[in-house]
Amino acid sequence: MTPTEGLKPESGLAAEIEVEAYRLLFPLQYYERHLAESVRPDSRALGRARDTTIALGPVTSADGSALVKIGDTTMLAAIKLEVMTPCIGSPDEGSVAVDFQMPPICSPVVRPGRLAELAPVIAKQLSDVIMSSGMLNLKELSLISGKAAWMAYLDIYCLNADGSLFDAALLSATAAFSHLQIPLVSLNDDGKVITVSEELKIKAVEPINKENRKLTIAIVPFSLTCIVHGKYILADPTSEEESVMDTHVTVVLDSKERLVSLYKAGGAILLHASVVKDCIALARLRVEELSEILRESLSAMEVD
Amino acid sequence: MEYINPLTGFRLDGRRPNEMRQIRGEVGVVARADGSAVFEMGNTKVIAAVYGPREVQNKSQQIDNQALVRCEYSMSNFSTGNRARKYKGDRRSTEISLVIRQTMEAAILTHLMPRSQIDIFLQVLQADGGTRSACINAATLALADAGIPMRDLVTSCSAGYLCSTPLLDLNYVEDSAGGPDVTVGTLVKMDKVTLLQMDAKLPIDMFADVMQLAIEGCKAIANYIREVLSENSKKLECMKGN
Repeated sequence: MTPTEGLKPESGLAAEIEVEAYRLLFPLQYYERHLAESVRPDSRALGRARDTTIALGPVTSADGSALVKIGDTTMLAAIKLEVMTPCIGSPDEGSVAVDFQMPPICSPVVRPGRLAELAPVIAKQLSDVIMSSGMLNLKELSLISGKAAWMAYLDIYCLNADGSLFDAALLSATAAFSHLQIPLVSLNDDGKVITVSEELKIKAVEPINKENRKLTIAIVPFSLTCIVHGKYILADPTSEEESVMDTHVTVVLDSKERLVSLYKAGGAILLHASVVKDCIALARLRVEELSEILRESLSAMEVD
Repeated sequence: MEYINPLTGFRLDGRRPNEMRQIRGEVGVVARADGSAVFEMGNTKVIAAVYGPREVQNKSQQIDNQALVRCEYSMSNFSTGNRARKYKGDRRSTEISLVIRQTMEAAILTHLMPRSQIDIFLQVLQADGGTRSACINAATLALADAGIPMRDLVTSCSAGYLCSTPLLDLNYVEDSAGGPDVTVGTLVKMDKVTLLQMDAKLPIDMFADVMQLAIEGCKAIANYIREVLSENSKKLECMKGN
């Protein structure tokens, strides 16, 4: 007896409960019936991503921060800068440390006291993409060659995990770096670097980095995660979709539409090259959307 | 250092000694959680998420006649002035988790939900003194949002004693001044104290005044929380009606 036999059409509350029960008991069939009509349960088209919003500067104590929401998935990224001595091999460069955490508030699946399995994987992917995409010029983080440079600690917290975690995390990282304001510093008498408050107008203390307070972000990487099931490609999955269909492909493109990273780790479906091309095409559309959203929120900040 | 200006009587941030910082609470911020809330006291910002009642994950801890309450408190790496890697399970976090768990357990009607588990997760986004109190207030809002039956609202506030004056709701600078820090958690309607912690030295005759000040603070917060919850109920009622 297939799951669809014996289901009578009913109206009102009983029908709602029937649908909810069907969704929980036979999730794959529930989704396949939607996909056959080229739609998803939240009425999105297959290639559409969810509403994305970026808020810059929610954490006032950090040097740069951003809160990103893709649908219900929420990521909070904050950057704090500290002065350190650069390593001997690259005396003109600062460095970046990326940390991604999924605290138990984000999802009923994460158990307290234990790290979520997904967190170190995403942390590593993020670190690789940020370093290899050429988004940051580490030389801009240098203060005094060989003696002092900035170490940027980027901490990203997932506050609500509802699918497409890597996309939201990457977007929050790029937004936080775009928002980053490097504090004014100067040398005190011991030759140590100290931060200078903007209001202090002491002539003896000359800030040594008055010119470059913001990082130039030449190339911005954006990503899109897709799920492949049969002949359908779903863009920007929710956590429910991710748990039902397990073949995920993540494509990272930069703002010049070059491929930065491609990630497909297992999954029941083996992909044809043409499917990969379709995923990249969907990612290209998403890159345009995201660059527009990031540009708008940056210009809104400037108006303030 | 002058924590209270001798001429005007104002504190470092311009408050009067018995004035609390600006508080703000909001429910329903984490969509996937059964109940969630954000609570701000001045610059201290905390998110609470409640999952439950649900099946006990570790069967050996299951209690046959009541619910198991678990609580985890963690601070974000960027929450304090200097970025410091906060390890899970360090002593301060473990102590605060235990304190908050026991405080909330006193208020939850656990005998109504046997063999189940209620998880309270707290994440500090910005810390400026009074994180313990902000966490308890946020947890109360989140538990109410999750519909978990409670005896009463639990609210918490801290008070201290500097420059011979009892001060309400210490911020980080006042807290680090080395004076006493009294944190009180109360069940407001029942007028019972469930949490009382104090650090540093305080003359006994002053203690009653400082504790009373903190209890007044708790009552004020409870009024605000009641407003937030009834606004939320009205909104839900409107949505359900349509």
